[in-house]
Amino acid sequence: MLKKRVIFTLLYDSGSFMLSRNFRLQNVGKIDWLQKNYNFSHIAFYIDELIVLDVSRGERDIERFSDTLKILAKGCFAPIAAGGGIRKLSDARKLLLSGADKVVINSVLFDDPQFVSSLAREFGQQCVVGAIDLKQDLDGTYHIYTNNGACLRRDPVNNLLEQLPERSVGELYLNSINQDGTGQGYDLGLLGLIPHQLNVPTILAGGAGRSQHLIEGLLDERVDAVATAHLFNFVGEGLRKARESVSMYGIDLANWSPLSELKSDLSKKGIEI
Amino acid sequence: MIKQKKVVVVDFGMGNLQSVVSALEFLGADPSISSNPAEVTKADAILLPGVGSFRLAMQVLIEKNLDEAIKEAVQIRQRKILGICLGFQMLAESGAEDGMTAGLGFIPTTVESFIDQELEGRKLPHIGFNQVRLPKSSSLFDGFKATDDFYFIHSYRLLAQSLPGQKAICNYGIDFLAAYEHENIFGAQFHPEKSQTNGLRLLANFLSA
Repeated sequence: MLKKRVIFTLLYDSGSFMLSRNFRLQNVGKIDWLQKNYNFSHIAFYIDELIVLDVSRGERDIERFSDTLKILAKGCFAPIAAGGGIRKLSDARKLLLSGADKVVINSVLFDDPQFVSSLAREFGQQCVVGAIDLKQDLDGTYHIYTNNGACLRRDPVNNLLEQLPERSVGELYLNSINQDGTGQGYDLGLLGLIPHQLNVPTILAGGAGRSQHLIEGLLDERVDAVATAHLFNFVGEGLRKARESVSMYGIDLANWSPLSELKSDLSKKGIEI
Repeated sequence: MIKQKKVVVVDFGMGNLQSVVSALEFLGADPSISSNPAEVTKADAILLPGVGSFRLAMQVLIEKNLDEAIKEAVQIRQRKILGICLGFQMLAESGAEDGMTAGLGFIPTTVESFIDQELEGRKLPHIGFNQVRLPKSSSLFDGFKATDDFYFIHSYRLLAQSLPGQKAICNYGIDFLAAYEHENIFGAQFHPEKSQTNGLRLLANFLSA
């Protein structure tokens, strides 16, 4: 049976990793800081997937972002999706050559549907993750925002999603701006906004602060994966423990042996890693 | 032991080669990425990773004379090859993506898309870790349990019926071929380089097979 996934999202702005709360960013440290204090290559063995987003508020530097991605990819034997500001095929190719397996797109989904189609033609539909940032008004209506949450799309959510070019987006990443970084749990209301014909895997993001939130998200049958960008709650042994809690709840996550076990098994065959 | 082998990752411009290389290096191998037919022919072990369109990939392979180089290494020199994802599909006789295209012909079957009737509402692409039923006596799956989880991302599949060799099977509405081993031909529909320690173990098995 296909397993549900727990995804870790890293937010990057001009060389540093960030914490985000309702899309306001707070700098937490650079890549060497992440390695040193949070032993990222250890954490990477406890996730099903990694997403790295360049959410730079100033001008983006894709060369520098790609260099960081290369370092992250080196010790990560799980799939990686990366994005932020992709507007050209060459941007996507650059990230794919720097260790990404998939690219994440946001604003171009609505700004340039033809480009979305050409991405899928060039790299395959499975390679394109459509990230949608949504905000709920006081009256309960949802709106799509693009450009790092700065730009309100006036059309109804349903219309916008129905207009996405057919067979061009391989996965949807639904993120709640209201819940983002609050640690108060996901907004399951986002799931009702997906039109039926968009029958692609769905990743729910925004708001996870404890493993109970991951469980709440994964229990919904419309959810294929949950993502968390909450560095502090889930680093160290946090992700390992969160996975255990999710599994103990009866949700089927993928299993693999700890690295130490692989090391000792391979050592018996004369392979030292 | 692994270090002395000449391991070549075939570069035909499609797919995330760096991940495969990182995984092989992690296991102590010293792989080279190459699009040079002469180098591919001389390899002890060949890895053929790839994502994207079957037709386009075969076209590029032929343009670069890599198809003949791989056939010489595998069929005449009896070197081992591991195809990954699209690279695995390319080991088949043909692919149905955008019309029929001939593959390398090492596995006597055809690659076809999952069809709606067999999916029974399941989403496409098939993305994520899925459970694979593993064959008992296979060098590729030495040290594994009867079932283990691997990361898939694809919309086309090979069926296992009437194939010789060792077959690992995954179910996504229909039973399909998740991995394969027959003499010096190895393949995985999933991504071993993206399947955490399960994938690293499989790659180590391939290198020492």
